Amino acid sequence: MRNFTTISQIITSETDQAFWSLVIFLLVVLLAYFMMRLKVWRVIMTGQLRSHRAQIEDILKQLYHVEAGGKSVGIIDLSGALRISDKKMLNLIEEMVNMDLIQTRDEKIVLTEMGRDYALRIIRVHRLWEKYLSEKTGISKLEWHDRAEQKEHQLTREQTESLYEELGRPRFDPHGDPIPTAQGQVIEVKSVPLTGLRKGAVARIKHIEDEPEVVYKQIIAKKLHIGSQLKVIESDDRHVKFYSEGEEYTLPSIVACNISVLELSEEEIFEDSKVRLSSLDEGEKARILGISSECRGAARRRLMDLGFIKGTEIETEFNGPNKNPKAYKLRNTLIALRNDQADLILIEKEAI
Amino acid sequence: MNQDHSNDIIELASNLRWKVGENYHDRLTEGIYTDAAAITRDVEVRDGKAHFTFDRKLDQILTSKTFGFPIMVLILSIILWITIQGANYPSGMLATLLLENIYPFLKGVASSIGMPWWLDGFLIDGVYLALGWVIAVMLPPMAIFFPMFTLLEDFGYLPRVAFNMDNMFRKTGAHGKQALTMSMGWGCNAAGVVATRIIDSPRERLIAIITNNFSLCNGRWPTQILIATIFIGALVPPAFSGLMSTVSVIGIAMLGIAFMFLTSWLLSKTMLKGEVSTFALELPPYRPPRFWQTIYTSLIDRTLIVLWRAMVFAAPAGAVIWLSSNITVGDMTIANWMIEWMDEFGVFIGLNGVILLAYIVAIPANEIVLPTILMLTVANLNLIGVGAGDGVMFELDSEMETEAILRQGGWTLLTGINLMLFSLLHNPCSTTIYTIYKETKSWKWTAVASILPVIMGFVVCFLVAQIYRIVVG
Repeated sequence: MRNFTTISQIITSETDQAFWSLVIFLLVVLLAYFMMRLKVWRVIMTGQLRSHRAQIEDILKQLYHVEAGGKSVGIIDLSGALRISDKKMLNLIEEMVNMDLIQTRDEKIVLTEMGRDYALRIIRVHRLWEKYLSEKTGISKLEWHDRAEQKEHQLTREQTESLYEELGRPRFDPHGDPIPTAQGQVIEVKSVPLTGLRKGAVARIKHIEDEPEVVYKQIIAKKLHIGSQLKVIESDDRHVKFYSEGEEYTLPSIVACNISVLELSEEEIFEDSKVRLSSLDEGEKARILGISSECRGAARRRLMDLGFIKGTEIETEFNGPNKNPKAYKLRNTLIALRNDQADLILIEKEAI
Repeated sequence: MNQDHSNDIIELASNLRWKVGENYHDRLTEGIYTDAAAITRDVEVRDGKAHFTFDRKLDQILTSKTFGFPIMVLILSIILWITIQGANYPSGMLATLLLENIYPFLKGVASSIGMPWWLDGFLIDGVYLALGWVIAVMLPPMAIFFPMFTLLEDFGYLPRVAFNMDNMFRKTGAHGKQALTMSMGWGCNAAGVVATRIIDSPRERLIAIITNNFSLCNGRWPTQILIATIFIGALVPPAFSGLMSTVSVIGIAMLGIAFMFLTSWLLSKTMLKGEVSTFALELPPYRPPRFWQTIYTSLIDRTLIVLWRAMVFAAPAGAVIWLSSNITVGDMTIANWMIEWMDEFGVFIGLNGVILLAYIVAIPANEIVLPTILMLTVANLNLIGVGAGDGVMFELDSEMETEAILRQGGWTLLTGINLMLFSLLHNPCSTTIYTIYKETKSWKWTAVASILPVIMGFVVCFLVAQIYRIVVG
């Protein structure tokens, strides 16, 4: 018979025990870290597998967007876009036809009147929830879309309506998209992609597409906001070069086409002198032109309460040890703001 | 017909709402403000004098890259030094009065009226002694620290500190004013938590509340200094032992700051990610502090309120401490049962059962942790001739005697180091926990603020213990 060595026989000295305790602890920490990284927790916590209903709603939404873009789509394209297997998709389509949500017309799928209403209701919840996240929470704008994708399948009609009331009956989501009304009313946004502008054109940013995420992150990192005015300096197949709020930008076309703009007519004068408060040097004076629409909710109200309002005289009083925050003087009061806040306040410098 | 018209109007209104765009509420507000500003401009009269010049010169110095930071460290060090040194004398006087004069007097009265031993022990050795101890150790430092701090605040210096420090705090997702509540925490965590009211952004305020416990408070300084003198000062030649122990206590306080930043960063990245965050820091003009008013309000609002809360919690804790050492279950007292039960885990993480029990029963105030440890050690080892009896807290006059008792209790250098670490990283005292609940009105955040530091303390002690055992052997 073999002699089995027990753990207590291997670990004899206190040093060994200490060593193995450390090893086990490190393993547990590493395991927890990787589970966090792989978002295992989120799957466990939210049960992230899409429900049957959620799949139907996603199909409706996708069809609506396709039709709104003036195109049409077949089963294969849909299953690819929504990552649902072809077989499953066939079953779903059949079920939806029976529910009178969609119709099939020569290999193409189109929405019925009822299907369109349903789709608009989902889009309404999605955009309302994004509005809610932007106004009432501090969640980063990079996460709005994913969170709304989850929430749009969960809210009931009553919850949606009370959310709509609570938010002050908004008509646009934070990306500049219209929120459909409860009756299914929605307007067309007459915007064009930034790449479609000729040289010298003046426009206002109307919408920044949040998909794909990589491109969206790139635009956000550049500090471009909805509502900003811009003037195209150069535009060719590969790049768009433009001027906005005192800064010059060059974006690859592939990124620029995710920014939709509204071209401004002659009489809507481009304010060339419009720059950001963060560019105001120590001792310089300026007049406030407004707070960018990127600054929302509580943060916006706080700035307005403090008197950062159109027409107010402002002066950079001193920069501080790190040039962030800086101290500004307005209405004989000294107020310190961080640079990312000062980026959102637009000013017109006074000639010295 | 009428119905048709109203429907038309509603539809027209709805269409128009699409056209006014998304920001019409803001534009309306802006318009109102602009009008108000225009009206004020017309009617307001100002003397043309520039009262800003002196302030600006002072600001240029106090917020300069070169002097801003050193001045701040200097002022804070002076305040802490005055507090720790200056509190010794009044603390000693209060201790003499409450513990050496009134306590025997009460014991005498009790025995002369024939009070039964258990009632006398419960009321005088338990409740009264804990109360007396807390008042003697807690009141003087707070009565010195808070008025000085409030004077600086009134003068207008503290907002400049927040301004200078904001860059560092911003990187961890916190507010510059947290530098102030953190410093206030060195006086008392409960007062520090109340002081977070100055932070108006909800998320940053929660961060400041939860991390305030990492500021080494007045109640923990004496423990740190004593243990550092006994165990760490002894590592070097006697000439340097004073310096060595001071450096190690400052090191613990610095470690507290490091944990504060680390926890702030972790919280802002995880649990508090979704809370609203706004920043604005007003820099009021400098003005001579209103001396007496400041002294009065800081004594009433900060010192006495906190002291009162501490007393409310200390009285029952004193009773519990006395009872646990005097009620026998089977063949041992409750205290000894608990010590035995926790000892294995305690020793594993480089502490011991006595320390763990002391931190549980002495939750009302960090001030009574060390006396409780001494009492429990003596009772647990059944030492004859030391201490004041079962369940009666005591402190010794000389460090040598304290050291002798602790060494008999099995303390090593590791136990000393880990006690210092655990004294920094453990749950806030019950006064602070209650204050956190009062300020946040949330059981969830109160629980997080109470449990998170204990877990950190266990992990840090565990790591230090294992590494120490491997290195020292």
